[in-house]
Parts: sequence; structure tokens; C-alpha cells
Amino acid sequence: MKVCIACGMPMEKKSDFPQGDEQKEYCVYCARPDGTMRSFEEAKAGMTKFIMESQGFDESAAEKIAVSSMKKLPAWKDEFSKE
Amino acid sequence: MKSKRQLQKESTRQKIIDTAYRIYATEGFSASTARIANEAGVSHGTVFAHFKSLNELLECIIGEFQISLAAEFHDMGESSASVSDFLDAHLKVLIAHEEFYLRLITERSLLPEEVQYVYADNQSTIAHHFNLLLSREIKNGIVKEVPVHMLFNTWLGMIHYYLWNKDFFSPDEPVLARYAGDLKHTFISLITK
Repeated sequence: MKVCIACGMPMEKKSDFPQGDEQKEYCVYCARPDGTMRSFEEAKAGMTKFIMESQGFDESAAEKIAVSSMKKLPAWKDEFSKE
Repeated sequence: MKSKRQLQKESTRQKIIDTAYRIYATEGFSASTARIANEAGVSHGTVFAHFKSLNELLECIIGEFQISLAAEFHDMGESSASVSDFLDAHLKVLIAHEEFYLRLITERSLLPEEVQYVYADNQSTIAHHFNLLLSREIKNGIVKEVPVHMLFNTWLGMIHYYLWNKDFFSPDEPVLARYAGDLKHTFISLITK
């Protein structure tokens, strides 16, 4: 089973892939409407929002959690190696 | 096919994970890696040959626990599951891991910050499954119109209160198995119309 390189979500069904393309390494939520993968900043904002909405956490705490999780994902390896 | 060496390596890694899980559950997160190595019957250095750091070991153990939760929800099949099925699945996993989960919620602030974030991030995934289901039931007119994250937090609040006060609620036996029915039925009656 594939795991999204940009958010870690398991991709099991065709509908988990952007435009149903199972060759893609990222999921439908990490894709822009045109099917390309969203940027680091877009992903960070999306994951922060996901954490805030799912648990009602404060924005700054949710962002720290999102960034910590992104550090472990292959898609953002280069972003963190710049630090 | 995996070589004998590869299999040996995987079995040692699993032994370290299982031992660390058991020691953290019974003694808490202040238990040392030397203690875990000793109990697992490996050298202290072997622990760090398999895990780069203490953080990596802790993240792996918390991750494994939360994978078992995710697998439980996955097996349930989100589209057909009822709120009751979901709460049963959640309780089933927490009951199986009660001692470890109690350590996790009572000693979280003692864990390295990055490890705490792994816990919080994984909780979001559980919350997300919960929220999807509750949103559907709100739309169907079954569940009251309350923000879904508050429903999730209320459910966790009830579970955590019983765990935190286990010595009063159930000093001699696991608390969640004893009160699972009460917790579930009370929560469902509170949230349904």
C-alpha cells in the first residue's frame, strides 16, 4: 500500500489518488485542482487547519505539530535540510 | 526471501519494541534505555543500532499503538459504521492498551517535545475519522448540532477522567473494561436528539 509522501495518509482506494491516478506518490488532499502537488507552504497551512478543525487546538500549537510531522515525510526533506 | 541475518535483525528490533512498550506501560516513561536493553536481553548499544535515538524508539512505540487504532477503524468500514460501532472500536483498542495509554496521557509532558507532537498528530487522524462519522450523523438528523471537535473532546474527556481516577473508580481491575458500557451509552444519550 502506498503512503502519501506529503502528508503520510495511507492511499488504498483509487479515490485517494489525485484525479484517480494511482501512479502518483501523493494523495488527493495534497494535490492542487490541476493535479500537481501543493507547495510546502500550502501543505503546512492545510495540515495546520486539519489539526485545528479535528481537535480544536490553538493555531500556533497546531502549526508546530504539522511542521513536526512534515519533517518526517519524504516530500519535504529538502525544505528541512536547508535549515 | 529474507536472509537469516535480516530475520534475526527484525526479530531483535521487535523484541526491543515489545519490551519497551511493556516497561513504559508498567513503569512509566522515565524508565531508562539501559533497563529496556537489560530486560530484552540485548546490549545497550544494540538498542541504538536499531533506533538512532530515544526519540525514535518512543515515536515508534507510540506510532505502533496508534496504527492499531487506525487498523481497527479501517476494518470497520467508515461508510456503514454507526457511532456505537466507532466508540466500541475505540474502546476495544484502549482496553487492550489501557496501562500504556494511561501513561501516555498522564506523563505526556515528560516526553520530548517532538514525541508529544507525534502523539498529537496521530490523535488528529483518530479525531478526523470520528468527525467524519459524526458530521454524517448530524446531517442525518441523528446527532445534535454541536461542533464535531467538541464532541470528540467530550468523548476523550470522559475516558481520560476515568483513567486518571482509576484508583477511585476501579482500584483492583482495569477501569475501561469495567465502565465501557456506561461511558458509551451515556455519551450516545448526550449527543443524540
